[in-house]
Amino acid sequence: MTSTSRHDPGSWLRSPWTLAVLAIAFLFFEGLLSQALAHGVAEGDKGYIQETSGFLFWPFVYLGAKHMVTGYDHLLFLFGVIFFLYRMKDISIYVTLFAIGHSSTLLLGVLTDISVSSYVVDAIIGLSVVYKALDNMGAFQRWFGFQPSTKAATLIFGLFHGFGLATKLQDFQLSPDGLIGNLIAFNIGVEAGQLLALGGILILMGFWRRSNSFWKHAYLTNVVLMTLGFILTGYQLVGLFVM
Amino acid sequence: MFNANRPARSDLPSTAQLLKSTGIAAVVASVLVVTVVMPAEYGVDPTRVGSLLGLTEMGRIKVQLAAEAEADAAADATAGSGVTVAPAVSAALAPAATATTAQAPAQAAPGARTDETILTLAPDQGAEIKLVMEEGAKARFTWTSSGGRVNYDTHADRPGVSYHGYEKGSAQEQTGELTAAFTGSHGWFWRNRTGAPVTITLRTQGAYSEVKRVV
Repeated sequence: MTSTSRHDPGSWLRSPWTLAVLAIAFLFFEGLLSQALAHGVAEGDKGYIQETSGFLFWPFVYLGAKHMVTGYDHLLFLFGVIFFLYRMKDISIYVTLFAIGHSSTLLLGVLTDISVSSYVVDAIIGLSVVYKALDNMGAFQRWFGFQPSTKAATLIFGLFHGFGLATKLQDFQLSPDGLIGNLIAFNIGVEAGQLLALGGILILMGFWRRSNSFWKHAYLTNVVLMTLGFILTGYQLVGLFVM
Repeated sequence: MFNANRPARSDLPSTAQLLKSTGIAAVVASVLVVTVVMPAEYGVDPTRVGSLLGLTEMGRIKVQLAAEAEADAAADATAGSGVTVAPAVSAALAPAATATTAQAPAQAAPGARTDETILTLAPDQGAEIKLVMEEGAKARFTWTSSGGRVNYDTHADRPGVSYHGYEKGSAQEQTGELTAAFTGSHGWFWRNRTGAPVTITLRTQGAYSEVKRVV
């Protein structure tokens, strides 16, 4: 990971654009696989939830953690938030703000049964990724001459991510039997999953931050992050009109 | 450029520390895969931790649902363009049930029939009973489970419509009236998740021409 020359044959592998292409391919195939099933019988997590009832603590902790660890929209935002953070103290402050944000709307959304179109919420989540990438690039300072509070942004976008989690849970059609307990278990799982994912991201970033390529590619990486955010937004907005 | 300043090299974790963290992460991940993910996704539980936490049941149900969906899809494919809902349509109970799914006109006078159907479900087993009805026809029903609550899915189908849902839930008994949304088969799918065999007794009365068991 020393400075890569222009003709380094392996450099394309390390290019953020390779990552972008892989991510687009992933989104595409994921979309193909998660087609609605015939016969009205849900499979997987949803099928399990519909086949059971009552308070199930650990299963819901697991589902919450799984949702976070496999939820690329949340992970991309988290990646953007910690991109320039390397002190444990800062990281924990921002992650806590994000957790407060998404926990409150997750609980509120499900308990009050507010139903927002998941496409709209997920499109906003995509825009949160775009915002954070621009923020990292210093775009707001350049364009508007000041730096909007990064903490407030993390908290506010956290609220939208929580609504995203809530619509996902509502889609599972939880039985009212044991709902509150299951909801809290799911929330605990979300936080546990977030910490696990964060651990992995921080280790990878730790290696990368030590090399010169981090600062060299920091700008481009955030451009790619922004691209992915726009893709997520487009993916959801098209869904809003097509589905 | 950027909303951050370049950190001093001494502020960053050392390579040794990062390698150690990677090792810990790999170990934690491996432990979680074996004790949590394998039970919850595939019902495979070598350490028994998944059973303790109730995750193995999740995996078991997922595997079963996936297998049933696959069988269902295969049956649909052989039956040609999803004409029949049920996979093993071949007359588990009713002898002449299969072919005449949609059109069973003018056999019984409306409101004339009364039937009692009894079936036993082993743990995890599912069953489906359908009434053949004309659009707008009504049938009163009562079903009870001898054991605890069973999951039910009241729905309908006809050639070209593989699923039309009326109601889903979990109950020990139910009484109500079915109004056929279209000419086709209307009825109940039950699943026994109680862990012990249950007997379901279904009483129906109304305007239908046939009671058939499809699963």
